[in-house]
Amino acid sequence: MIKEKINLYLIQYAINAILRQKSKNFFILNIFILLTFLLTSIFFISNSIKYELNSTVEALPQITVQKIKAGKSYDMDTSVVDNILTITGVTDAVARVWGYYYFENVGVNFTIVGLDTYENQYKKSFENIVKKFDINELSENSSMIVGQGVYESFKKGYYLQNYFNFIKPDGSIKKLAIAGTFNSDIQLESNDVIIMSKENVREIFDINEDKTTDIVVKVANPEEIDTIAQKIKLMYPDTRVVTSEDFKVSYQNIFNYKSGIFLTIFIISLFTFFMIIYDKSSGLSSEEKREIGILKAIGWTIDDVLKEKFYESFIISFLAYMIGIISAFAFVYLFQAPLLREVFVGYSELKTTFELPFVFNFQTLFLVFFLSVPVYIAATIIPSWRTATLETDEVIR
Amino acid sequence: MIKLENVTKIYEINKEHCVTALENINLEFKEGELIVLKGASGSGKSTILSLIAALSKPTSGEVIVDNNRISKLPDNFAALYRRKNIGFIFQKYNLIPTLSVKDNILLPLVPTNPDEKEALEKLNQVMEKFDISHKQNIIVRNLSGGEQQRVAIARAHINDPKIIIADEPTANLDEKLSLNFIEILKKLKQSNKTIIVATHDPLFFNLDFVDKIIEIKNGTIGDSDK
Amino acid sequence: MMLVPEVLAILILNLIFALFSLIAFVLAVRIFFKWDLNATTKLQYSLEKQSFLTATIIKYIFAIKLPLFLFFIFTLDNISDLLTGAMCAAGVVDATEYGTYLFILKIINIYLFGFWLVLHYLDIKSKELKYTKIKFGFFIIIFLLFLIELILESIMFNSIDIDKMVSCCGTLYSSSATSYISNIFLIQTPILLSLFYGNFLLIVLFYYLKQKELFSLVNLFFIIISLISLILFFGTYIYELPTHHCPFCFLQKDYYYVGYLIYTLLFIGTFNGLITGFISDKQRVKKAYNFSLIFNLLFLLLVSAYPIIYYIKNGTWL
Repeated sequence: MIKEKINLYLIQYAINAILRQKSKNFFILNIFILLTFLLTSIFFISNSIKYELNSTVEALPQITVQKIKAGKSYDMDTSVVDNILTITGVTDAVARVWGYYYFENVGVNFTIVGLDTYENQYKKSFENIVKKFDINELSENSSMIVGQGVYESFKKGYYLQNYFNFIKPDGSIKKLAIAGTFNSDIQLESNDVIIMSKENVREIFDINEDKTTDIVVKVANPEEIDTIAQKIKLMYPDTRVVTSEDFKVSYQNIFNYKSGIFLTIFIISLFTFFMIIYDKSSGLSSEEKREIGILKAIGWTIDDVLKEKFYESFIISFLAYMIGIISAFAFVYLFQAPLLREVFVGYSELKTTFELPFVFNFQTLFLVFFLSVPVYIAATIIPSWRTATLETDEVIR
Repeated sequence: MIKLENVTKIYEINKEHCVTALENINLEFKEGELIVLKGASGSGKSTILSLIAALSKPTSGEVIVDNNRISKLPDNFAALYRRKNIGFIFQKYNLIPTLSVKDNILLPLVPTNPDEKEALEKLNQVMEKFDISHKQNIIVRNLSGGEQQRVAIARAHINDPKIIIADEPTANLDEKLSLNFIEILKKLKQSNKTIIVATHDPLFFNLDFVDKIIEIKNGTIGDSDK
Repeated sequence: MMLVPEVLAILILNLIFALFSLIAFVLAVRIFFKWDLNATTKLQYSLEKQSFLTATIIKYIFAIKLPLFLFFIFTLDNISDLLTGAMCAAGVVDATEYGTYLFILKIINIYLFGFWLVLHYLDIKSKELKYTKIKFGFFIIIFLLFLIELILESIMFNSIDIDKMVSCCGTLYSSSATSYISNIFLIQTPILLSLFYGNFLLIVLFYYLKQKELFSLVNLFFIIISLISLILFFGTYIYELPTHHCPFCFLQKDYYYVGYLIYTLLFIGTFNGLITGFISDKQRVKKAYNFSLIFNLLFLLLVSAYPIIYYIKNGTWL
């Protein structure tokens, strides 16, 4: 069976047969291409985003401690850091000073982060920034460094000069010059971040010297993260202690939830696809019926007709698959998937303008294949059989 | 070499309605004979052709060709038998209009995946015999009626079958083409093939090279001449 | 519940399989009870037509089932990243109580579908269609097993709990395991190897003697002894680690996916070996003999190459 030489004559006949029914087959081809295109695009986008997110999670602090009062987060005493450092297994604890600043003109939130030159930075990207820019100088010159996205927002809000006026809680203005912009490795984050000295952050948000926004903890052995988190919780029952694992899981969940919706929609479209193909393949014009009758009368067996029909199905579905995949490649990675990506990235305060990294996965291609070609062929089984078993003598009169 | 023994064919249109196409027919044709089945439409002559070509199975009785019982052959064996032994000429030629002359003639061979040289040899032989080599690459629907007829006959001959079956071959032809056809028939008779023509065209009833004329009326055999 | 797209794809295809195999089943039952080649009734004619549909459906299922099985293994491998403790497909198979049974059933079903196809091709070669009734009766059994496989697969994927710890293949395939697998570790290496190579010699012997039934039988044993040898001995040389016995890990990229080749060779060899015992068509049997010998030999050479190359490189055995 499989060991026979490939029948080129039959393939040629199949191609010709496909072309004979141009409009019907063209319609089927297009539906199929649409299906594989959408599917592949969705998978490509989600692969890229997953990759980005995973990189983000890697950079997250292992443990974050926040004080909670009446369900909202509050500033903490800086002394807590010293107590945490006494726990065995903790290698470092850093008091963070940061907050969100709402820029009314453009309607976006910036994340303002305070850095100190002499502290151990908890994030590599911040380390790089500290190396590149001198924070002390920033403090002395009343300046800050902004992320690329922030810079764009300033421009949108008509701030064409190289400075920004922050409005303090008491209404007065804190002016800071823009000393430079940065691009973090992880695009999803860097866009809405502003970096300045801790002093300036404290000033803008009116946070006391001895208070801190939250504390990040570094642990020697990753296996111990949960245990230490528990200990901290015991020490300070009024805090919320979040681990990096928690972030990972919640990202995943949001992600899978969204994918889940898509997949449900997809199943419905798959079903519709099946029905359309079944219907289209079933409708035989009298012309087609006559052709099959002729073939059988001149010596084609039912198996031969079935084989020919299968070749037709396979050619169409494989062609559609290839076109669908290639279009998806172009759509997602060349044109950056306009419209479709918005559904994934969701509603962030600052529309992120990140680039979808090219993530290639053989598995995705196989996945799309299994979700499309076999379904198509299944839809054509019964119609092809009906065609092949038509009563010849009735047809050729 | 063709025998129909007590053959009855009943078509079940639906549960209540049955049509008896043939009733207890007994026929025998010798090799090399040219037989004309004469009868009106619906008389059953086309059914006889179907049975001989193993395109349908008798409700009762046996169809024996060359000492082989072909009545109950499973589909693939029936098709194989047709491919090897039967050349079919239809009423409306029944060519695939969008294929070339070449491709139409090769059609019976397509599923067998023949060796290219062999196929080409057979093709050229048959095209020369029926004088359409010069048009081999032309799409069939662009040919004249007479040319299409020759393509149809050529196709029927590609496997060098022993039996030629023609079902109302001149029904759609004008007199000139009909006479052409009869000329070709004469030539075929000379090659010792068994030829069976089902027709109600009176042109066939007075030919000297016809061996038998059998009249089929309402599913039974009427008078026969010669 | 594992709602990863790969699993969903498998489940969707399973649904299609279930639907179509059900159709085939209903037809098979009708044909099995009412088939009479000599009858000229409308019923018989429609049965003849329907037998084509059934055969087409079964061919379709088998054609997709094979690559889908490979995709299944590949998916298990990928899921293993999500389950704590699992490092390869073995962990995922062990994550539920259904995993191992499902796996074995899948393999058995592949053999069975293959047998059906061989029977089918022999059937349509004969003028009296002499295997038709048997063929469809056989399918009735296959259908039931196939249905169980589909249901089991859905249940298995449904019940995988990502929070539950699973054993890694290191503990599963070792003498300290608590399942029946640990028993095979009681076999001494020299005995094991003599059984393995000895079995192959028997295959060669019965090949020359053309003893069909015995040839089938030794092929059956060969499946079992090969799997055990792979786990106990040959696997360790693929990993170059005397304690790594997992039969799944060498399907991964790190080992150049050689596992797929190994198992495919074994399958083709033993499948052909098994069918010789049941078929009387001389031509087909001859082909089967040859294929069986060649592929079993290739399998043997491939797995033997690893320890030999190791010895040549390192001057010692593990």
